[in-house]
Amino acid sequence: MGIKLYKELRLEKPDLIVGWPGIGNIGIIAIDTLRGMLEAEDFGEIEPWDFFYPHGVSIKADLLEELEFPSNKFYFKRVGKKDLIIFIGEEQPSETGAGYAAGEKAYRLANLVLDVGEKFGCQRVYTSGAAVASIHHTMKPRVWAVPNREELIDEIKGYENTILMGEGTISGLNGLLLGVARERGLEGICVMGEIPIYVAHFPVSYPKASKSVLEVLTRILGISIDLSQLDDYVRKIEEQIEGVYRQVPPEVRDHLEKLKDESYATPSERRSIPERDEKEFMERIGKLFEDIDQSLKKEDGKSA
Amino acid sequence: MPEEYPFRISRHIQFKSSSLIIAWNRDSSTLGARVIDFLNKKLGGQEICEMELSRFFSFGGVAVEDNVIQFPECKLYACEKNNLLIFKSDTPQYEWYKFLNSIIDAAEHCAKVEEIYTIGGMVGLTAHTRSRELFAVFNSLEMKKRLGSYHLGKDMDYQTPSGQRPTLSSFLLWVAQKRGILGVNLWVPIPFYLVAVEDAKAQKIVLEFFDRRFNLGIDYKCLDDKIGEQNEKIARARIRSPEIDGSINKLEDNLHLSEEENVKLIKEIEEVFKRD
Repeated sequence: MGIKLYKELRLEKPDLIVGWPGIGNIGIIAIDTLRGMLEAEDFGEIEPWDFFYPHGVSIKADLLEELEFPSNKFYFKRVGKKDLIIFIGEEQPSETGAGYAAGEKAYRLANLVLDVGEKFGCQRVYTSGAAVASIHHTMKPRVWAVPNREELIDEIKGYENTILMGEGTISGLNGLLLGVARERGLEGICVMGEIPIYVAHFPVSYPKASKSVLEVLTRILGISIDLSQLDDYVRKIEEQIEGVYRQVPPEVRDHLEKLKDESYATPSERRSIPERDEKEFMERIGKLFEDIDQSLKKEDGKSA
Repeated sequence: MPEEYPFRISRHIQFKSSSLIIAWNRDSSTLGARVIDFLNKKLGGQEICEMELSRFFSFGGVAVEDNVIQFPECKLYACEKNNLLIFKSDTPQYEWYKFLNSIIDAAEHCAKVEEIYTIGGMVGLTAHTRSRELFAVFNSLEMKKRLGSYHLGKDMDYQTPSGQRPTLSSFLLWVAQKRGILGVNLWVPIPFYLVAVEDAKAQKIVLEFFDRRFNLGIDYKCLDDKIGEQNEKIARARIRSPEIDGSINKLEDNLHLSEEENVKLIKEIEEVFKRD
């Protein structure tokens, strides 16, 4: 129960690449862009009703036509000699009301995704998401990477624009899936695009970080795709963030400007703002951004 | 009983086949719950089964409403003389699919479930003086045909608006469809200013439907008294307050109220019902 495959496939040691929504939708934008650019074909899905509440109903002439659930689909593509399985989940199952996955259902979903990977001989899994970082939004986001076994650390050190995460927590399925993969003896790497901490609370996607993730992922996979397709989207979001940023009081903006000078080797080495005040300060700024964004939207509404 | 069933049967009864009526406690105007309470009382419904609450509710704390602690209930009742099963419940916090299947599993311990009916109120923009209408959403053409003589069909099309989610009743209707059980969601638009209080007139139209469908022989005297009382309360409020009267007059003339008028009418009617 749970998995439905529509096609019989013969794949050779495919890599499994997984995307879910999360902070800034960085992971899902990256993986869905990859899927679209590679024109990967869908071949199966995880039946969603046991995991999710439906998000739409369609009624025609008093008859229930369809109940729509968040989709959880598998796609495949052969690129050169490399086989890829891509899994995209529209929602993470949550039993706790948190935005990210937790509990027995998340564990079960992670296992189902890996069941499909293993059925086709997969030995390596990539997940992707967001790394909330003290960076300025004008900077190019780096990619934080975390492997699920020590032997992969040296490989990660060779990736461009990538740093090892060191310490911390990966919330939701991005981390859980790699833990379960380790349990099953599969290699796994989570690649997370940096999002400025003050933007992480902002209700927008952050495709700039998705682009960084894709640059790293495509290089690891040996795939060449034109990522300039994301540029318009990146520019549009940058303008939106800039619009809010200009409204931030000058003394706060001065503080944030210092983030432009940040240069650090690991995520734990960053010091332009005193460490003890940083979390509180950034959360305040995040809230400020939200408030300004709301009031700008209201003004837009009035003038429309 | 297999351990995986998340319910406890307290009394074993056996029907050949049955219809199952379902209502949720936190419904507009508590319509479904009131109808179920009425049916249970009139038909001598006996509690026969209860869901294991801890499987579907977090119990991170309990809500307090009107100074009283609230606690979820999910119970199945049997009305033996009428071959009816009735389920009254709070909506679960998670495991919805399992919960909905478990309602049907529990009912099927007593009888083969032939038909499922759910009851729900929805917000309507009409005046309380207008008659109530019963809307229906069916999970099969067969059920629509079966209930053809009740004139429920309005040929309604609907798509969940963006940002909203379907009701648990829609989810249940789909689960029933998946299990090959005929089902219908019954909906009554409730005048928006009665959503937070009771609407006896809406209860009556649902009960009349079940009465005809299952030959229940319901005596409506106490419900008619309640409708009369409710109408009187609002009539008195209209005399007391020209504003309430003006707003209801507008609705009776099919005119729209401003947002401010809506809010004021809701608040004042709520106070009328609290006070009287």
